[in-house]
Amino acid sequence: MKRIGSIGKGGNAIRSAMRGLALGLGLLASCAFAADGMPGMAKGGSRPELGSSAVFAADGSLFVAAKQGDHVMVYRSTDEGRSWSAPTAVNAQPEPISADGENRPKIAFAADGGLLVSWVHPFPKPNTGSVRFARSDDGLRFSPPVTVHQDAAIITHRFESMLTLPDNRVILAWIDKRDLESAKAAKKPYTGAAIYAAISNDGGRSFQPEYKLADQSCECCRVTSAIDRDGAPLFMWRHVYAPNERDHAITRLKPDGSAERVMRATFDRWKVDGCPHHGPSLVVDEKGIRHAVWFNQKDGEGRVFYGRLEFLADVKVDGQRTVGGPSASHADIAAAGGKLAIAWKEFDGERTQLRAMVSADGGHSFTDIALAATDGASDQPRVIRRKDQLFTFWRTEKEGFRVFPMP
Amino acid sequence: MTRRLLTLLFLFIAGPLAAADFAPLDRQAAKQLVNPATHRQPTIVALWSSDCNYCKKNLKLLSSLAKSNKNLRVITVAAEPESDPLWPMLKPYALGGPRYAYGTDNPEAIAYAIDPKWGGELPRTFLFDGRGGKAVVAGVISTETIAKATGLRF
Repeated sequence: MKRIGSIGKGGNAIRSAMRGLALGLGLLASCAFAADGMPGMAKGGSRPELGSSAVFAADGSLFVAAKQGDHVMVYRSTDEGRSWSAPTAVNAQPEPISADGENRPKIAFAADGGLLVSWVHPFPKPNTGSVRFARSDDGLRFSPPVTVHQDAAIITHRFESMLTLPDNRVILAWIDKRDLESAKAAKKPYTGAAIYAAISNDGGRSFQPEYKLADQSCECCRVTSAIDRDGAPLFMWRHVYAPNERDHAITRLKPDGSAERVMRATFDRWKVDGCPHHGPSLVVDEKGIRHAVWFNQKDGEGRVFYGRLEFLADVKVDGQRTVGGPSASHADIAAAGGKLAIAWKEFDGERTQLRAMVSADGGHSFTDIALAATDGASDQPRVIRRKDQLFTFWRTEKEGFRVFPMP
Repeated sequence: MTRRLLTLLFLFIAGPLAAADFAPLDRQAAKQLVNPATHRQPTIVALWSSDCNYCKKNLKLLSSLAKSNKNLRVITVAAEPESDPLWPMLKPYALGGPRYAYGTDNPEAIAYAIDPKWGGELPRTFLFDGRGGKAVVAGVISTETIAKATGLRF
């Protein structure tokens, strides 16, 4: 997290230099250690930036995007995470990268096989950044990164979600504060932020100018996406409903990319003037059923919920139930081979547990599974698929990248 | 000789830590901080983070209330590890009390020690009247809430 610019700022100079030296010593020590360790283990610094994403390639190998210093690195494993290739740098030129909490680099394959990576480049001003993107044709060499939006203001363009479609389109949607900023300048009220999107029609080689999907999103929760039963792109995010209910919104995108209609997707009515730091996850299974997991406070208790989203005149939530115990958090969901899997973290008073539940009947009943535990910091888990098989990917500070096949 | 060198090296490395702007919080310290018995005077423990815009509202209010009533003690906890942007964000509020940021302990263990029912949403504020009373508020707080929970007048 050291920035050259911070060294030499008056009274901070000595402290910065000393801290830098301490960090350097720490890095030296941990590099020697890391040679024997697993990739993804934290390296020095006080801030564990573990935010990572994983995706299986068509040939079954696993690709992971993670931050290392001022680079997004791509790691590859051909044996389900038991061993990893030497990483490839996505951005040749160093730049700041967000990879903590609800932030993480994203990785996906375009329909034409191109390997795509997106991330947020934070600026020194708090809560500001731009959405960055790079493509590789061979999985090894990446195009120079581009900013996917034309708006160059130093404001929030963060928490992007990347969706790839079978027709080689790539859609990125993110939380954007340009409308909030212009409302502020005009001294008009504006609640929350907005969701903007940019579409590529050529597998990420170029992007069309960005446009707005919705006003009044919540400000700092991850955004999720999926492909609906008829192939329409779906985006879901935490929204602010009047006066301050932080439920979720969902929209399908029309063929031209515009939002069909923004619908309320959850009805827990969590009223808070605050930042939940807890975004949803969405998947559509082979039968076209939409399954979601999200976090909300309901009846005074913060819980992870699961539910099926049926689109009628409004969204109807079917089979809503809690996931895990009172401290369950940051759940992810995926579907494959007739199975539905949800993975989440849960602190048991001593350690962080990684837990999962699997359903073979479309989310009507689930079997609980304990997957792993860790003593240190950890990323949010990601449920990923390789054809008909589901896996949970989890990065921890102490153990690095871990991959768990789901039953 | 070796010991002296080690001591020197330790001081060299510990130096910047001692000069840090925030005290590192671990699960034990967190438990103490939210224990009403710890606070012998009206105290507010305000959780905030660099990502949380609503937290600024609370810090601003606490800053003005602490100025208008010197009996109010304000302790801040950044729910993230210390980083360069953190102190410049907090400094303008000129809150005199102790300042904490998450240390190297498992962040989920620290959060659990602060409040097992806390889902990570911010701001979150703990109010102590200094006589064993404790209240918790999620989100933006008001002067009335603070006055009621601390027994102070502003």
